[in-house]
Amino acid sequence: MFEEPIRKRGMASLTPLIDVVFLLLIFFMLTTSFLQEQSLSVVTPAPSADELPKDARVVEIWLNGDGSIAIDGEPVERAALSEGLKAAIGERKDITVTILAEKGSRTQALVSAVEAARESGAKNVGTARVEKIAK
Amino acid sequence: MIEFDEEPPRRQFETLVPLINVVFLLLIFFLLAGTMKPAEDVAVSLPEGMLNDREQEVPTTLIVEADGFVWLGDRVMDAQLSGVMVEKHLKDTNTKRVAIKADADAPAEAVLQLMEGLREAGVEQVTILTERGQ
Repeated sequence: MFEEPIRKRGMASLTPLIDVVFLLLIFFMLTTSFLQEQSLSVVTPAPSADELPKDARVVEIWLNGDGSIAIDGEPVERAALSEGLKAAIGERKDITVTILAEKGSRTQALVSAVEAARESGAKNVGTARVEKIAK
Repeated sequence: MIEFDEEPPRRQFETLVPLINVVFLLLIFFLLAGTMKPAEDVAVSLPEGMLNDREQEVPTTLIVEADGFVWLGDRVMDAQLSGVMVEKHLKDTNTKRVAIKADADAPAEAVLQLMEGLREAGVEQVTILTERGQ
């Protein structure tokens, strides 16, 4: 007698779902970061470089203005800084490591030097900025 | 005239299903693998480091741009003058914990100047943020 209403296919409502999923996907792609952030605790330096000790038990890391790094005047690669510093310190444990940053040196070098100094097991680590390192 | 049978038009959603599967997979991947980062107006590429002291939830973050300028929130200042500004901020927020987010190419001088200013403001130790190197 009566015609049965034609059944709607359930799949027809898929399009808005896909729209939303795409939007979510783009949102997460843009806001996600895969950077592994770390933190490094550093003691803040005293404002004057004059307070740095200057005796035999000091190993100096020079961050030169041209980007090179040296330990007590011996040029060293940034990757080999840690080993170089350990060799310079040797067995003595009462040593102080001083990091001198010349004008023009970069933060990356400073961070590497601080990490190397920490890893070397030195008793004290001091940082200072200087106009020009007296060679 | 030869008549060709026209193929019946395919239903659209049939071809969409694999696409949706892939998109869902991507969505789940980004959901699980990523961490959200708060938006920042200053872009810095962090220096690489090996050590991790796992300082967490440091309330104040100072950003040192590649050109040596220091950002505190939405204020910009010269590294040399940053001490006073930070001192006031620390007094307002009543904290001594400060993180420095410096660009790898920022002058080390600016970072050290900033740290000297922080020392004068009574901050003994700062946290420098780095990115995990190889």
